[in-house]
Amino acid sequence: MKPDIDLARDAASGQEAAFEALVRRHQGAVRGTARRLARHAAEADDIAQAAFLTAWRKIASYRGGSFKAWICTIAYREFLQARRKRKTEVEFDEGAHIVAFDTSAARLPEHLDLERALKTLPENQRICVVLCVASGLSHAEAATATGFPLGTVKSHVNRGVAALRKQLAAEGAA
Amino acid sequence: MQSEEKYDDLTALFEAQDAALDSEVFVDRVMQPIRKRARWRGPLLFGAGGLGIGAALSQIGGLFDILSVRAASLTHSFDDVRPGSLDFSTFDPLWIGAVVIMVMSCVAIVASERT
Repeated sequence: MKPDIDLARDAASGQEAAFEALVRRHQGAVRGTARRLARHAAEADDIAQAAFLTAWRKIASYRGGSFKAWICTIAYREFLQARRKRKTEVEFDEGAHIVAFDTSAARLPEHLDLERALKTLPENQRICVVLCVASGLSHAEAATATGFPLGTVKSHVNRGVAALRKQLAAEGAA
Repeated sequence: MQSEEKYDDLTALFEAQDAALDSEVFVDRVMQPIRKRARWRGPLLFGAGGLGIGAALSQIGGLFDILSVRAASLTHSFDDVRPGSLDFSTFDPLWIGAVVIMVMSCVAIVASERT
């Protein structure tokens, strides 16, 4: 299997097939990250698609390291943009209603438990857990992506992880 | 790094969840606009480049004719040109507009190119 860095180099030289291989390899992580951040699956897939299209344009700026972390950081930025846009739309549309978080992506019972547990976390804690635990960013990378101080990211991750474990254990025991 | 290695159990759960999301439909959805753009991007760039080269080459013959006629008058040095003697108001606005459009198009192409 060709390493991500080689595929990215080929993609940067315009080879669509190399980029397609990267999409195929990392689609789960990006879609998963987007679904954990966004409100529902359709919005999450739009975010994931936008992230890959941005990655295609910026692929030459990928300098190595974890490709998954790089692309998930782009997905997080796309999520922020989508949320900003949504807020503006809600401000102008008084009749708009908030759609509940869609859990259709979760198929297995343990996935449902994880989704449910993740939803109970405060937003900033959930973002840090998603980026560091699910998407594989280091604490420093997550701090850069979110703009939170490094200590805050560590604290959010530690508390979030503890809360997730507690909930999963409780649901497992029930 | 120690504090970042404490949650492998949860990472494995998230990865299992991500693996269930793999779909060829999504891959096609991402690749479709990329392929579509690549289909016209190459011919457009090469076509525009070819047109530019053709236009430039077609002017070379005329340029030699002008040079042979004007060669004698080109003996003046630039020092002889009086400051402020260049009057842009005498330029054809059509040509100025064409140059502006060309420059703007080049800037737009460069800006939209992948970095």
